[in-house]
Amino acid sequence: MKRLTNALRRTAAIAAKEVQHILRDPSTLYLAFGMPVVLIVLFGYGVSFDLDHAPLAVLDQDGTAQSRDLARSLTATREFEIVATPADAEGIERLFRSREASAALVISSGFAEHLRRGQEAPVQVLLDGSDGTMAQAVLGSATQLVAATIGTPPIEATATLLYNPALRSAVFFVPGLIAYVMAIAAVLLTALTVAREWERGNLELLFTTPVGRLEIVLGKLAPYLGLGLLQALLVLSVGTALFDVPIRGDLVLLFFAALLFLVGMLGQGLLISAVTRSQQLATQVGAISSLLPTLILSGFLFPIENMPWPLQVLANIFPARYFIDALRGILLKGAGLGVLWPDLAGMAAFAVFVLAVATLKFKRGVA
Amino acid sequence: MTSRFVVQVLAVLRKELRQITRDKRMIAVLVLAPAVQLIVFGFAANFEIEELPTVFCDHDGTARSRALRQALTAEGTFRDLGAAADCARPELDVQQGRARVAVVFPRGLARDLAADRTAHVQALIDGTNPTVGRYAANAIVGWSRAASMPVLTERLERVAGLTGTAPSVARLSAEPRLLYNPAMESSMFMVPGVAAMILLVVTMIAASMGLAREREAGTLEQVIVTPIGVVALLLGKVLPFVLVGLFDVLLVLVLGNSVFDVPIRGSLALLALGTLLYLMSTVGLGLFVSTVSRNQQQAFMVGFFVMMPAVLLSGVMTPISSMPSWLQPLTYVNPMRYYVEVLRGVLLKAADLQDLAFPFVALGVYGAGILGMASLRFRKRLG
Repeated sequence: MKRLTNALRRTAAIAAKEVQHILRDPSTLYLAFGMPVVLIVLFGYGVSFDLDHAPLAVLDQDGTAQSRDLARSLTATREFEIVATPADAEGIERLFRSREASAALVISSGFAEHLRRGQEAPVQVLLDGSDGTMAQAVLGSATQLVAATIGTPPIEATATLLYNPALRSAVFFVPGLIAYVMAIAAVLLTALTVAREWERGNLELLFTTPVGRLEIVLGKLAPYLGLGLLQALLVLSVGTALFDVPIRGDLVLLFFAALLFLVGMLGQGLLISAVTRSQQLATQVGAISSLLPTLILSGFLFPIENMPWPLQVLANIFPARYFIDALRGILLKGAGLGVLWPDLAGMAAFAVFVLAVATLKFKRGVA
Repeated sequence: MTSRFVVQVLAVLRKELRQITRDKRMIAVLVLAPAVQLIVFGFAANFEIEELPTVFCDHDGTARSRALRQALTAEGTFRDLGAAADCARPELDVQQGRARVAVVFPRGLARDLAADRTAHVQALIDGTNPTVGRYAANAIVGWSRAASMPVLTERLERVAGLTGTAPSVARLSAEPRLLYNPAMESSMFMVPGVAAMILLVVTMIAASMGLAREREAGTLEQVIVTPIGVVALLLGKVLPFVLVGLFDVLLVLVLGNSVFDVPIRGSLALLALGTLLYLMSTVGLGLFVSTVSRNQQQAFMVGFFVMMPAVLLSGVMTPISSMPSWLQPLTYVNPMRYYVEVLRGVLLKAADLQDLAFPFVALGVYGAGILGMASLRFRKRLG
């Protein structure tokens, strides 16, 4: 009992030192709390795949009232804006190359005549395929264009969008952002701070004191655990306040998931610092091993099921995908433990594994 | 004078290169990191939406409904996962993540169609990802229109048979064609974007941290008391990162070309010029970041703080024209935006200097400006 309280006291002492260290350097706090807000504003307002005044070139070879109506109907929704009316196909390419237009509508002569005779009237939509996100969105609108002329069809489909009926991108991005921000802070801050201690030889000094290895590790990580949870709370509050991100599920479950994720991320940062022992190297390794998986291999931006299988396997190793899945489940779908337990198990397995390896590496380094 | 300057620059450069190459792991990271990022991005950053897992509730159960279901999944956007777990609550599969879409065919669908009534098909789509949600909704509606055409023609023919006029359905048919990237391969436009991102990370963050390390260790002050001038010192310090950056661009281009078939349609000289101008901006930013930070940790954080918005506001991930109008001006102070335009233009569209005049001028102005400002700050902090 005495031994346990002593161990706790030593851990608390290390943690208190670390807290002071963080507080002394305001740039850490700035990164931890300023960055998430900047990111969420940028993502929430800036990242949109919706077409909005996309620059459109119109090549109207028909020159009739009907063809002009068609061009006008495209701009009515404000998805497109007619920026140029080139004289020929050559002109369209020139506009694409100089990025003045990213889509072009070509109405060939005889368009109105075809319509009048009740035939199929072909129009051509040209897209700048070098800007794929835009091209994808225009492709969607092109199908709508075809559909517009039929009238009431015998088979009518109603598409109901669940969980995010207004299709706002913030609702989709906020869960991913929470994971992203927590991964940056947890992995890189721990990796950098602990690597600095290695660089300066402070850790060797600490090892000569009665403080145990586990106590050092726990004491170092505890403040960053607190920091990470505060970050999650911050992103969540800003997300719900600014962008109406719903919280349909259990907040306790959400914080439990965040805790599991954080422990894994902190362990990863610790492991990186113990292996690299240099801040410059730790940054690069940390960036590749935490930011890349959280950003790319997590379902944050790109659906995992579309990836080739080796990347899917890789995505299953990193805990970010489990965390984002759990966050979306809890926030948007109101899912509970019954649905989300595999995610929690995945995060727990990663955390246990990485902490075990990190603690081992911590010891060997000193010898 | 000039020869002494060159000797000084070379001396610093040699020392700097030796320091970077001393840690073998650092070389590995500087070379390996771009390769790993490119491969992961190239394969994972897939904007194509296909094979969405779809469950069905076929309350009709006729040959007609089965044919419609087959037509819906034949085109590739939806993958038939079979019947929904519980047709009383078809959204359950979507909620639990097994399916993205649940399609409900109503009872009496075939009968309604035969009796000239409208049949209502319902689709429940997971809207969590707005892009996927919108695309799926469009595809469902598109499918219903396409499936309607034969029914409509058949009805018209029946009417025509009664009245004796020829049946005709006037309609538009749009055939979209993608220039430069006909198969709509995501890697085609992602590889140039990733190249610009990698360059920013490697040159800006590595340069700022390298300089911050010297400040942390106090070695910068020691060098200043030697006859080496500030400009020579700076040049020698940043040149290695420019070299690393150029090497990384080459690596990305070769990998992009061999692994992802990204073409190199334009002039390589133009590409090299654009890259040099961009590197001026990124190294200048790195230098600037190092002057506002006291140690490596701060340098990294400030660098990161610059990097994320630069990536988001570059047009790599989302179209710039889709951003709100108050945010769009910010993209003009982002060198990455211009470099992505240059890369995509030269690689995919064979654009020439005239097409790319604006991004080139912008990159030049930006690079000279930030490099000059950072050098001034650097000199002031040392002096």
